[in-house]
Amino acid sequence: MGDISIVTIESTHVGTRVVLKLVGRMDAVSAQHFETACEPHIAAAAKPLVLDLSELVYVSSLGLRSFITVGKALKDNGGELRLCRMSGFVRQLFEITRLITVFPEYDTIEGAVAEN
Amino acid sequence: MPETELSLTLVANIESLEAFTRFARRAGHLAFLPAERLDELDLLIEEVLMNVFRYSFPPSEPGTVTLTYSLPAQGELLLEVADQGREFNPLDVPTPDLTLDLEDRPIGGLGIFLVKQYAKPLEYRREHGWNRLTFGISADA
Repeated sequence: MGDISIVTIESTHVGTRVVLKLVGRMDAVSAQHFETACEPHIAAAAKPLVLDLSELVYVSSLGLRSFITVGKALKDNGGELRLCRMSGFVRQLFEITRLITVFPEYDTIEGAVAEN
Repeated sequence: MPETELSLTLVANIESLEAFTRFARRAGHLAFLPAERLDELDLLIEEVLMNVFRYSFPPSEPGTVTLTYSLPAQGELLLEVADQGREFNPLDVPTPDLTLDLEDRPIGGLGIFLVKQYAKPLEYRREHGWNRLTFGISADA
């Protein structure tokens, strides 16, 4: 029954791009797992990191904080955090906090990967 | 009509979050909250409790926190988070500037803002050494 604080992260490569698919919930406990998973991709500088959020069902302020932290770190290295396929509660929180305006958002993985 | 109240008291640290969340979800089901309200309930519980875990007690003197709920009417859930830590009114936290772009955004500070969006009513009082935050959520939002 330990389903509350779990986010699993599936990493795939599409050409030279990395796509991380987040499945589950980003809360106070699991957000750290996401930040750790992003670290090697931040170091790999100057590339966009694509997040597939289609199966992320919950995010709290500490989860949002992790998106901001990773987004800033990527930007400092000449990269960018790209968000794809947000829906439901997760999209609602990005809208309420207007974080939807600070990250580029895409409807499809293909679109996020293709853009320079 | 008498109102049933149920409470859960645990150590005020992040290890307790999961048990509090499950306790609140049972209350949400008893109140017949629909699925989308249950996500909001999870959020309220996490944001309010994380605030207590971080600010109410110094690390050298950990305390406890009590979550109490009642069901005033069908489709309505009223919760209270109470602790005897240092006085802290989370409703005094200033509203974050949501117009800033990524470079200028502070990394934190959104928790209480989110509580204010989803909780109704939302009241803080300091009473005989207790911080008491009361918040409600209802089926029809």
